[in-house]
Amino acid sequence: MLALPDLQKAFAGYLSGGDGVDLARIVRGDSISAAARLRIHRHHVQQSLATALAATFPTVHTLVGEAFFGAMAGSFVVKDLPTQPVLAEYGAAFPDFVDGYAPARDLPYLPDMARLDWALNVAFHSPDGPRLAAADLDSIAPDRLLGLALDLTPGSALVPSAFPIDRIWQASQPGANGSQVDLAAAGASLLVGRRSDDAAFVALDAAEAAFVTAILGRATLEAAAQAAFAVEPAFDLSTSFGRLLALQAFAALR
Amino acid sequence: MDPVAGIGLRSPHLAEIAREKPATGFLEIHAENYLAGSPARQTIEHLRRDYEFSVHAVGLSLGSAEGLDEKHLDRVAGLIERLEPQLVSDHLSWSVAGGRYFNDLLPLPYTEESLAVVVRNVQRLQERLGRRVSIENPSCYLAFEHSILSEPEFLAEVARRSGCGLLLDANNIFVTAHNLRLDPADWLAPLPADAITEYHLAGHAVNYADGERVLIDDHGSHVSDAVLDLFGEIVRRYGKRPTLVEWDTDIPALDVLLDEARRAERVLMAGRADARAA
Repeated sequence: MLALPDLQKAFAGYLSGGDGVDLARIVRGDSISAAARLRIHRHHVQQSLATALAATFPTVHTLVGEAFFGAMAGSFVVKDLPTQPVLAEYGAAFPDFVDGYAPARDLPYLPDMARLDWALNVAFHSPDGPRLAAADLDSIAPDRLLGLALDLTPGSALVPSAFPIDRIWQASQPGANGSQVDLAAAGASLLVGRRSDDAAFVALDAAEAAFVTAILGRATLEAAAQAAFAVEPAFDLSTSFGRLLALQAFAALR
Repeated sequence: MDPVAGIGLRSPHLAEIAREKPATGFLEIHAENYLAGSPARQTIEHLRRDYEFSVHAVGLSLGSAEGLDEKHLDRVAGLIERLEPQLVSDHLSWSVAGGRYFNDLLPLPYTEESLAVVVRNVQRLQERLGRRVSIENPSCYLAFEHSILSEPEFLAEVARRSGCGLLLDANNIFVTAHNLRLDPADWLAPLPADAITEYHLAGHAVNYADGERVLIDDHGSHVSDAVLDLFGEIVRRYGKRPTLVEWDTDIPALDVLLDEARRAERVLMAGRADARAA
């Protein structure tokens, strides 16, 4: 017999890929062996966590299909079990795992699709809160405004990619028209954020992406604009800033 | 809560329930699905005005020898403060060891040592929440050689020592009895009627291990007639309690689930209002 802490340690080892020999010795076997009974638990752990990952990475799941996804998720689960019980918060390391997953090498955009799925998941599970409107800035003098920093809404993230991940995402949605995506088309930088009852993304051009990256890095509006000008001298701050304001991308002035 | 039948609230039905507000006894949620600030969390907070709620946790890991995860406990406590549900529950099982979460209701050996661990964890949970919680019998696929108590004896003793309630899952009793070759009637005998606060019902699947039939608690089908018969026996023996129908895989249309709850309610209403243990 094992003391409970040792039993749980042995069980955890078995569920993480161990052989479970020590554990099988203390499990009652009859016409169903101890090993077969233990396998029911191991199967459930892998299956249920792969299902949770499929819910968190729906685009990846659609793109590769159930069988491929199940195998890929199963390999990830054994290496990287959750550290807490909220399954919507499980899978932060999955995009990098997909990046290194040899059988997926022929789908070079897949890691970025996983990053997009993860960003949408994080945004969806972020609290809704106040959003900055253009009217909130009316009373601030333009030169003072440039010296201020802004917060994007909680859960916002920029997902840059060398692939047209916005079009790949759209083509993999239920009810998509089945048109082909040209993978050689220009890449996309997507700003992902929480909407009132959903999470969504908008495509940014290269200068806007530089601007948002600087804002996420807590730069002032002026410094963020300079970062954008460095990418594209024709960057129009008032147009791009106005567009982001209209999208309700900002939570507040800092 | 009135001894009526309710449904497990699952995300595919959330929008329809918020829109249509169908009649049902109560809604039960899995705590772990509503701890973040998602739109779903806002929706259930709105639904709380129209429905009685039960909060069923699946990840507190009350059987963990290393004790409860206080961070997770704080999050669950925050949800419960917000919703003020009628019932709060989790399982007689463990799912966390060494900082890893296995997303399974893993079995405990029924020993004095396990009893001390579970009672300590249940007491900590009740102290943190400032209220009584109920512990559910899990579906079992294996038993440990060194168990010295039966599962119902163990549950009865946890309830006696900690003051917690018991949530009886009729499907889990059926599944466990089949898989461990027990008689469901024997299983029921040692339970204290006063501690029982709620019943659960769900469907199970049939699988095979070493060529033998194994029942899997997958919550993926109608409640079987055999489980409903066992439920009738439980109601006759212990009386009416709030009763939940759960459906978690191959989730059907909401109407199917609501019908299933009405089916359970008919069995419930045929039972005695205030039956005591024989």
